[in-house]
Amino acid sequence: MVTREEILDIALLAKLSVDEEKLDELTKQMMDIIAFADTINAYEGQTGEFDNINGLSNVFREDTVVASYPREQILKNVDGGENGFFPVKKKM
Amino acid sequence: MREYELVAGLETHVELSTKTKIFCGCTTAFGSEPNTHCCPICIGLPGTMPKLNRQAVRYAIMAGLATNCEINPIAKMDRKNYVYPDLPKAYQISQYDRPLCSNGYIQLQNGRKIRILRIHIEEDAGKLVHERGDTYVDYNRGGVPLIEIVTEPDIRSIDEAIEYVEKLQLIMRYIGVSDVKMQEGSLRCDVNISVRPKGAEQLGIRAEIKNMNSFAFMQKAMQYEFERQTDLLESGEQVVQETRRYNTDTGETEPMRGKEDAHDYRYFREPDLVTIETAPQEVEQIKAALPELPDAKFARYTEAYGLSETDANILIKYRRVAEFFDAAAKLVQTPKTVSNLIITQIFRRLSTEEQKEAFEIVVTPQTLAELIALRESGKINNNLLKSTLEQMLDTGKPVAALIDEKDLGGVDEATLREICRQVVAENPAAVQDYRGGKEAAFKALIGGVMKATRGKANALQATEILKSLL
Repeated sequence: MVTREEILDIALLAKLSVDEEKLDELTKQMMDIIAFADTINAYEGQTGEFDNINGLSNVFREDTVVASYPREQILKNVDGGENGFFPVKKKM
Repeated sequence: MREYELVAGLETHVELSTKTKIFCGCTTAFGSEPNTHCCPICIGLPGTMPKLNRQAVRYAIMAGLATNCEINPIAKMDRKNYVYPDLPKAYQISQYDRPLCSNGYIQLQNGRKIRILRIHIEEDAGKLVHERGDTYVDYNRGGVPLIEIVTEPDIRSIDEAIEYVEKLQLIMRYIGVSDVKMQEGSLRCDVNISVRPKGAEQLGIRAEIKNMNSFAFMQKAMQYEFERQTDLLESGEQVVQETRRYNTDTGETEPMRGKEDAHDYRYFREPDLVTIETAPQEVEQIKAALPELPDAKFARYTEAYGLSETDANILIKYRRVAEFFDAAAKLVQTPKTVSNLIITQIFRRLSTEEQKEAFEIVVTPQTLAELIALRESGKINNNLLKSTLEQMLDTGKPVAALIDEKDLGGVDEATLREICRQVVAENPAAVQDYRGGKEAAFKALIGGVMKATRGKANALQATEILKSLL
């Protein structure tokens, strides 16, 4: 069971604004999604066979060095970093 | 006080010597400027796709085969979720329920087998640097391929734990998948340790000690932890299941965090990487290409070459030494002479473990064998063998340049016979002793001949002549 309040909580965490008139529809959709997961859970482990989801295997790259990115680019998202490092915010 | 028994299992992380990281083409070179071996894949930017390094898989399979594991025909990668700044994606790509290798073992000298539960591949995390209360991250190490080798709780003493790690290190060095340097962090050990009353069946509650980076620390940390847990049980308290770290300043282990169970990591299949399938033929090919391993070498040295267990152990301890010994032993009649010269004379010049490991000497197995052949044919004696080897080690000159024709059998039979007569005449006491049945007295006579010829006499010939005179 999913409540309208839980949908509002999730929306808040996801930083989404939800219209009041959409709330019932979203609550129902969330319940459907969880019910689907339950269906999968009920099935899981019954065959014991490994399910190779997409049928693909052994996609590899060779062990050949490719140039790394310039450090300025690597540190771009942390305002250039500090002395070449990523600084970590205190109290993670 | 009751007697308690230590029970330990080890998780060993070994950094693989691939040229590139496990999921991208950045170099794995050690010791560069921070964050210069990085790309969007290994710093975990959204939208990037990992691509598995073929060589990392191959190395892991080699490690599995060298430790008697089964290679699983189907393996997959999983995400292990935890939040820590050294892990930019907030999950580590590892293997959960389908690792590459399972069910192996390493056998110790006392005959006990330490079972290996599994070997899986995963990516290393970055390195945190703490400075004046601030923390910085270097992601150069992030994404370097690791194998984690997990044992069953089969270890019963600190000595066994250390022997296990040393042997694992040796095997990895032989197969060349890692340089396994504890001080550089390319081999790191976590020890799960518990105690129980001696004779008890049930395992005690364990604590995990993280990141042992030297044998000395490992020894001290395990000793401390064994005593701590024994004291707790003796005073009727319980051991708490937790992760602890060894504080090198206090010599004590201290709690880090509660020990996670698998469900805390919310493992799930890595959707960006496909299944790894390994065909039996491929496993056979890799197995066939493995070099001779330390156990097999030990057996060959002691059985086929008749070396003592002590000597065999010294030779196999260093891969290059063993290779040198093998190459020279093949060329001579007395492999034991090769072993003796390496262990006594050559090792005297290589005092550190690193020097023995590198085994950089100017003498080749061929030139050493040439020299030994002269000794075997009786053309030179032991003293000349040793002094010539010293000169060879100093100068790198070939045998022919150091021992000239005059030295080789330079004493003709008539002269030798005359010298032998003199020696017999000058040593009546030794002659009498020998005739009285003292075999040892003969050595004094041979010694006399050698002294008179300055070591140039053919020992076999001299023995024959002396015996005919006596």
